[in-house]
Amino acid sequence: MDRLRVSGIRAVAVGALAMGVMLSGCAGKKEQKDAAAPGKPRVALVMKSLANEFFKTMEDGARNHQRQHLDQYDLIAQGIPDERDINRQHDLVQQMIAQKVDAIVIAPADSKAMVGVSKEAMDAGIVVVNIDNKFDADTLAQEGVSIPFVGPDNRKGARLAAEYLAQKLRPGDKVAIIEGIPTAFNAIMRKRGFEDAMTAARMVIVDSQSAHWETSEAEKVVSGMVSRHADLKAILCANDSMALGAVAALRSAGRLDDVLVVGFDNISAAQEYMKEGAILCTVDQHADQIAVEGIIYALDILEGAATPQDKETRVDLVTAGDIE
Amino acid sequence: MTEYVGMVFVVASLIAIFSLTAPNFFQVETFRMTANQIPEVIILAVGMTYVLIVAGIDLSVGSVLALSSAVLGVCLVRYQLPLPVAVAASLGAGLACGAVNGSLTVAWRLPSFIVTLAMLQAARGLTHIVTGQQTQYFRPMIRELTSISVLGLSLPFLIAVAIAVLGQIVLCRTVFGRYMVAIGTNEEAARLSGIDPRRIKLVVFTLCGLLAAVAALAQSTRLGSATPTAGTGFELEVIAAVVIGGTSLMGGRGTVIRSVFGVIIIAILGRGLIQLGAADPTKQLITGCVIVAAVIVDHYRHSFRKAPLPTETPSPSL
Amino acid sequence: MSATQDLLRVNGLSKSYAAPVLCDVGFDLHPGEIHALVGENGAGKTTLARIIAGLTQADAGQMHLNGRPYAPTGRAAAEQHGVRIVMQELNLIGTLTVAESIFIGRIPSWFGFVDRRRLHADAQELMARLRLDGIEPDRPVETLGVGQQQLVEIAAGLSRRCDLLILDEPTAALTATEVQLLFTQLEALKDSGVGIIYISHRLEELRRVADRVTVLRDGKVIGTRQAETAPLNDIIRMMIGRDLNEVQRPAGRACGPVALQVRGLSRGQSVRDVSFEVREGEILGFAGLMGSGRTETMRAIFGADRPDAGAVIVGDGDTPARIRSPRDAVRHGIALLTEDRKEQGLFLPLPVRVNISLARLRALAAFGHWIRPREESAVTRRLADALAVRCSSTEQPVAELSGGNQQKVVIARWLYRDCHVLLFDEPTRGIDIGAKLDIYRLLADLADRGKAIVVTSSDLLELFAICDRICVMSGGHLVATFKRGEWTEGKVMDAAFSGHIGGHAGKGA
Repeated sequence: MDRLRVSGIRAVAVGALAMGVMLSGCAGKKEQKDAAAPGKPRVALVMKSLANEFFKTMEDGARNHQRQHLDQYDLIAQGIPDERDINRQHDLVQQMIAQKVDAIVIAPADSKAMVGVSKEAMDAGIVVVNIDNKFDADTLAQEGVSIPFVGPDNRKGARLAAEYLAQKLRPGDKVAIIEGIPTAFNAIMRKRGFEDAMTAARMVIVDSQSAHWETSEAEKVVSGMVSRHADLKAILCANDSMALGAVAALRSAGRLDDVLVVGFDNISAAQEYMKEGAILCTVDQHADQIAVEGIIYALDILEGAATPQDKETRVDLVTAGDIE
Repeated sequence: MTEYVGMVFVVASLIAIFSLTAPNFFQVETFRMTANQIPEVIILAVGMTYVLIVAGIDLSVGSVLALSSAVLGVCLVRYQLPLPVAVAASLGAGLACGAVNGSLTVAWRLPSFIVTLAMLQAARGLTHIVTGQQTQYFRPMIRELTSISVLGLSLPFLIAVAIAVLGQIVLCRTVFGRYMVAIGTNEEAARLSGIDPRRIKLVVFTLCGLLAAVAALAQSTRLGSATPTAGTGFELEVIAAVVIGGTSLMGGRGTVIRSVFGVIIIAILGRGLIQLGAADPTKQLITGCVIVAAVIVDHYRHSFRKAPLPTETPSPSL
Repeated sequence: MSATQDLLRVNGLSKSYAAPVLCDVGFDLHPGEIHALVGENGAGKTTLARIIAGLTQADAGQMHLNGRPYAPTGRAAAEQHGVRIVMQELNLIGTLTVAESIFIGRIPSWFGFVDRRRLHADAQELMARLRLDGIEPDRPVETLGVGQQQLVEIAAGLSRRCDLLILDEPTAALTATEVQLLFTQLEALKDSGVGIIYISHRLEELRRVADRVTVLRDGKVIGTRQAETAPLNDIIRMMIGRDLNEVQRPAGRACGPVALQVRGLSRGQSVRDVSFEVREGEILGFAGLMGSGRTETMRAIFGADRPDAGAVIVGDGDTPARIRSPRDAVRHGIALLTEDRKEQGLFLPLPVRVNISLARLRALAAFGHWIRPREESAVTRRLADALAVRCSSTEQPVAELSGGNQQKVVIARWLYRDCHVLLFDEPTRGIDIGAKLDIYRLLADLADRGKAIVVTSSDLLELFAICDRICVMSGGHLVATFKRGEWTEGKVMDAAFSGHIGGHAGKGA
């Protein structure tokens, strides 16, 4: 009886494991398509977090593009599970060098730490294009390399949103910023963009704290902020996930009607909130185009059709009026 | 009541300090909103207390929470299922994760640290797969749940309090609770006393998974959405709260009510630091210090008792 | 008797820590003599040994070694005089090899480099001399069994100049073969003129090895006897200050119907085809050397370890009980009180109440789940009183109780569970003599109330006093069963060694 019970439990456990493996197997299948065809250039797309909707969109865009241009190049798309896992990304790039790909399009997990390994790749004769998160200019200079950057200007995007917000406020109104992870380059740029526009419009930034890109953390931070600043007029969030948390906090505090919320990234949930009027505006960096632009640019360089230099991708303001 | 003196003292001190230093801290509104933000942590703390009492650990609660809310979101949004069905599916997901944790731990006698560490990864991966890495927005579909409140306290908070009270009663007044303490204190002696430790442990881990799903519901109703990254690092916050409450990581000792005090301490501290406008590194530094300080202050509750304690504290309220 | 005849002479030795431990102790040892020191726990044997070996200093009294005043200030000083001690707890460093352990402190070296070849050769020679050639000198000590480690430690003691050797409970961890080996070595040492002080609580060993026996009780010397001629009962009376006959069971007691039958029980090498039965109202003893399979047999009956073969039948029928776990055994009314109370029996930080009620908690719970606290307190208090458990209240953690009272708590648990068959594994181990007598009376009492009781013990006299029948195990087999009146120490010891002296393997019960 005992033995039966144990084996019963084991059977259930094995079954559950098997199901998990099957599920993840289904998801993993897509990865395995890129058999190398001779003659075609092989482009490696080294991504940041696979857990982030933004990068997911970016990667999907690249895969779609490759599917439509099967004859032009092969794509090897790789990402790291955690946005901050610099080591893993470092290893990924080295793997790509070992596989002798023709070009690497990289969204660096860290704007300084990934410069060295990118230089290794260039020394190995690989074309490197930097997307999304721009390499640190000083570090590039120290290493004596120049790597072309293709991507959005986060600071400009944030400025666009904040300028739109300024139109709804009066000079002297108090606003607060919810930052992303304080050490991340795009988080810093977005914060600066918000600050540029708010200062220019003579608003008062009374508070700025990090919620690490997280919804539930943003809820707690915003909840505390609105208690502290009874006359707060607007909250600028460095991404939409945190904007969702901000809305939840404001709703719970009964302040949703007198505090405006600005987001960034244009995720679908944020669009719903804009329709409801809970979020004022967000910013679309056209994630699906960033990686594609980077790949096209890399192919151009390979063919000698372009000289390496920075290239900015589109950044658009999105308001309730734009969605229908 | 002496066993709660230390905890109450820590909570009162924190409130006093922040009332003096942080603008607009000492208001009913602050406490109401803080209360409404902690139901998921309270619920997880109940499950975690149980798991620690049987000398296990569950590192997967954050991921299981994310998976459960993902299932809820996908059922409501993508498959347009009715709310009760979606809730049942969500609870089922948490229950299943807990059952897998429990059965792997029991059937192969694996350390729960390893099993649940694996589940932490696996459930997070499943969450990304289930959601397609997209935030699920379902506020309009759960309006019935969000509208209920008593004196400004939300339904999830009231449910969390009920679960904590029930959890405490089960722990100290039922045969099951007594068996948990016995197993955590000395598993072999419990087995030789005719108790089946495997069955109890399986139930405890499954319950912890189910409670993670309940916590997911509590969080989702408030945020109106399910993010694939929800609950990241939650396990450590919950374990910290439970340990502040005096539950032993070695098993056999702990109470649910004290764990809830641990949750309250961490919540008030977090809220206070936000209202002070502290910088990120400062917040982390102070949180770390307070966790240690709370444990030390609580240690002195022993001096309220007459006899000095020889070694470990016995489980106070059996 | 002239002073020069004595190797060691001790006069008026006293020592107190918080309370007096030794009180005006006199003792002497001749060269080439094995002098046994016996007594209950706390009688002062070990303290006396430590003083002689220089580990502790006496408060008063003198010692003379070879007629000269002897007052060692430490272990090293004692060793310079040729006095060595091998203690109960091992003193070896697990990661060192056997050879390194033996010669630690004077490992042959050449400009700081260990001379491995010489070390190895020296060790091998010594081990051969001690007939320990089965042990590889290069093996790390921690890979040896406890018994072999003890032998290595003894070898380390003998590798240096040694006139007086003190052995403190050397056989506690040894198997029968190792004990035999040790005794042969002791004989050889004795013949070469070394004086040996031998501390043991196993009286049955003494007659085989010792010349004289000195009994200590409460820090005083009660008397010295010739080992060969002194009746064991006298020695016991000297040790405990009371007569074991007090608890002696009358011969030919009538017992009830069969309560438990064990048929062909086997588990690995330690339990081989064991069959016996025990009746209601009977106390059945299990004797045997360490490692003879007594504990393993009890655990297999109880389902704590799963037997490979055999049947356990509750009552006098023929249908085997299905016992796959302790839980099943308890349901069939069988209880096991383990040898190791602290690790396997008690919940030390928990109150007496919880420890007593655990095995039958559901009876105290409404709807089988909801514990009724008042009833639980009342029931457990009643049981604690009935067994005279000395505790401040039933809320006191059992960790704070003495060994004897802890044992009573475990017994109370099973009494409350209302088990009919009680398996006691070494019920009096580590318990002081007063409490031992309490436990003996309790066992007799339980038997009179119709319980079937099985007791294993390393203390043969204990079994002789309390049992109706005694089974003897050797090498995993049940080799003999004696009724009250049939047994003698010699018969039982012969049976206990029979499995080790060869020839028994095929016999089977």
